Amino acid sequence: MENRAQVLLRKMVANVYLPHTASIKRIKEETRDIKTFILCFKEEELRDKFTFRPGQFVLVSVFNCGEAPISISSSPEIAAELQLSIKKAGLLTGEIHGYKEGDEIGLRGPYGNGFPLEELYGRNILFVGGGIGLAPLRSLIQHVFAKKSDFGKITILYGARTPEDIVFKEDLNRWSKEDDAEVLTTVDMGDSRWKGNTGPVTHLWEKIEISPLNTKAVICGPPVMIPYVVFDLLKMGFAEEDIISTLERNMKCGVGKCGHCTLGSKFTCIDGPVFTYNEMKELPFLL
Amino acid sequence: MADRLIINKEHLKSFLRKISKKHELIAPVKTSGGDTLLEVIHSVDEVIFDLKSKPVMPAKNFFFPRSETIFKYQRKGKHYKFDEILDNTPRILFGLRSCDLWGILFLDMIFQENFKDRYYLNRRINSVLINIGCNEPMKNCFCRSTKSGPFLTHGFDLQLTDLGDRFFVEIGRPRGREIVEEWNYFFSPATTKDREHQYEMVLEAESRFHQIVDMDTAVSRLMNDEVDDRVWDELGNRCQNCGGCAYVCPTCYCFNIVDIPFSETEGERKRIHDSCTFTGFTRLAGGYNPRHEKKRRIRRRFYHKLYYENKKHRRPSCVGCGRCVEICFGRVDMINFIKMVCEQGERSSRETSLRLGEILIEAGLLNREELKKALERQAGTGESLGTQLINEGLITREGVARALGYQLKIPENAGTGGSSGK
Repeated sequence: MENRAQVLLRKMVANVYLPHTASIKRIKEETRDIKTFILCFKEEELRDKFTFRPGQFVLVSVFNCGEAPISISSSPEIAAELQLSIKKAGLLTGEIHGYKEGDEIGLRGPYGNGFPLEELYGRNILFVGGGIGLAPLRSLIQHVFAKKSDFGKITILYGARTPEDIVFKEDLNRWSKEDDAEVLTTVDMGDSRWKGNTGPVTHLWEKIEISPLNTKAVICGPPVMIPYVVFDLLKMGFAEEDIISTLERNMKCGVGKCGHCTLGSKFTCIDGPVFTYNEMKELPFLL
Repeated sequence: MADRLIINKEHLKSFLRKISKKHELIAPVKTSGGDTLLEVIHSVDEVIFDLKSKPVMPAKNFFFPRSETIFKYQRKGKHYKFDEILDNTPRILFGLRSCDLWGILFLDMIFQENFKDRYYLNRRINSVLINIGCNEPMKNCFCRSTKSGPFLTHGFDLQLTDLGDRFFVEIGRPRGREIVEEWNYFFSPATTKDREHQYEMVLEAESRFHQIVDMDTAVSRLMNDEVDDRVWDELGNRCQNCGGCAYVCPTCYCFNIVDIPFSETEGERKRIHDSCTFTGFTRLAGGYNPRHEKKRRIRRRFYHKLYYENKKHRRPSCVGCGRCVEICFGRVDMINFIKMVCEQGERSSRETSLRLGEILIEAGLLNREELKKALERQAGTGESLGTQLINEGLITREGVARALGYQLKIPENAGTGGSSGK
């Protein structure tokens, strides 16, 4: 039997650890190991109530596999249709890759700080993405195009391993046709049919025009890409606070309690995962 | 009713028997092996009032259990659903030590900030905490140095002081008053003499500590990054990754969340205690582990408990109970750590080079001769050193990226955020 205080607690405080069921409406195969899942909450009320910021993530529950943090890859403008782009990497992601339309998963969140939208307004934005790193960027890119008059020029640089590894092909194509926008794609290794750029994304600098003083750079990609990009941007004259990236850590609770994702006195799950380069530099990242 | 009361020792068991009718009673018992444990009491005669031994495990386990089912889940066809499990049992914890009670107050703060934790709070708001002040600090107690004992000034529902044939009773929070009012015939108002006697016990207890540590110096050395690397090296070598220190600590709250499958259609999700000294604590799906070295994990542990908590909550998360001192056979405990930090000499200099070539040499990716030759050739090509080395096949792109990341102070594994997978 609950006492009075417990009844109040139940009414006032949501149970943050309890997932909400969502069903898979559609599945889109991006590459041989990345799929985008288009999801819809079972509880009708949640479909309108669930809002998020680009750059936030959810904890995904898969039957008998536990939970994993996955960043949201769709725009907040269509929150009722949440999209997660998941790379097959382990037990949970392997299992969900076997799921069909209509199958159900659990979701809780959204968690994390998301990208600092307020600081992006009025500025040109340079997006640099590598591999699956385009997923969290896609959420922000779609949002920026939906509110294009609030932002300046948009430049998107994307690098993938091979032409088959390019994700969101239709989106990249559509974005390149938007006003005041430029999209350049490159691959590490082309094939006989590939006519585009080859080499790392940092080889694309010569092909674009950016003004470091009025541009914010948002970078997501594999660890091998980040230092090169940051190094070059600093050399071009970008201010440290104008370079934005994300951090990945082992996460269990997502709500700043379990201790797995700590960086000094900060939690990646609530103080991050998005940090500017000058914030990142100060993090005691081994502590 | 007065705030200072007396209950005669011969009435205490009857009082406990009464309160255990409406509540689950938790109190210290002695096992056949001689250990003292906090346990659910079925007969009041089991309860021991012996002040000379402290329960092996901390009281946090009754609010934040070592392992608890947070919900059950089911799958029927395509459908997947979750059934919350909450513990509504009303509990009275009797005979806590001040350090344990202070530990619970610390956890109250943690589980209430940011996102509130229903599992913890639901148990907590249905509980009564009664501590007995310690007249005689034990061998490894140092709560005077952490300001969390031997007697408390607030935070308890009731605080008892052993005055020989009677207990002096202080009423703290409202739940304590409710209980005393409900069973008021067990209590009588304390006299001035009783109050003086109690005050003497407090002063005497404070003068009897075997262990006094300089917490402030340790905190300030951590804050100013003045702890010598040799301290971390030594503690790292001695730690055996057993996690014992975290399990017995009244304030450690790290946990893991796991699914326990029952069958193809159902299972449960559990929350279980975890420890930052375990090897896999920070390991990611791809295998990368920011704290793969033991000494980094030890460093994290002490930085967190003494400095980061101080920075965030204005108090270290150590209550001076001395349990880690008792459990750790490698002596990687709080008392020893503070002593080592206070007694270390001047911190040895650890100037690290921030030049790419030097970083590569230090990481063992390049030798000095190779660097010298590469620099000579680089002067001719005008390429950056990194590009030069990659073009010549001396180092991989990943190797240079790691060195460059180090130079720019970018956390390893930046850029992938949130979508770690599993």
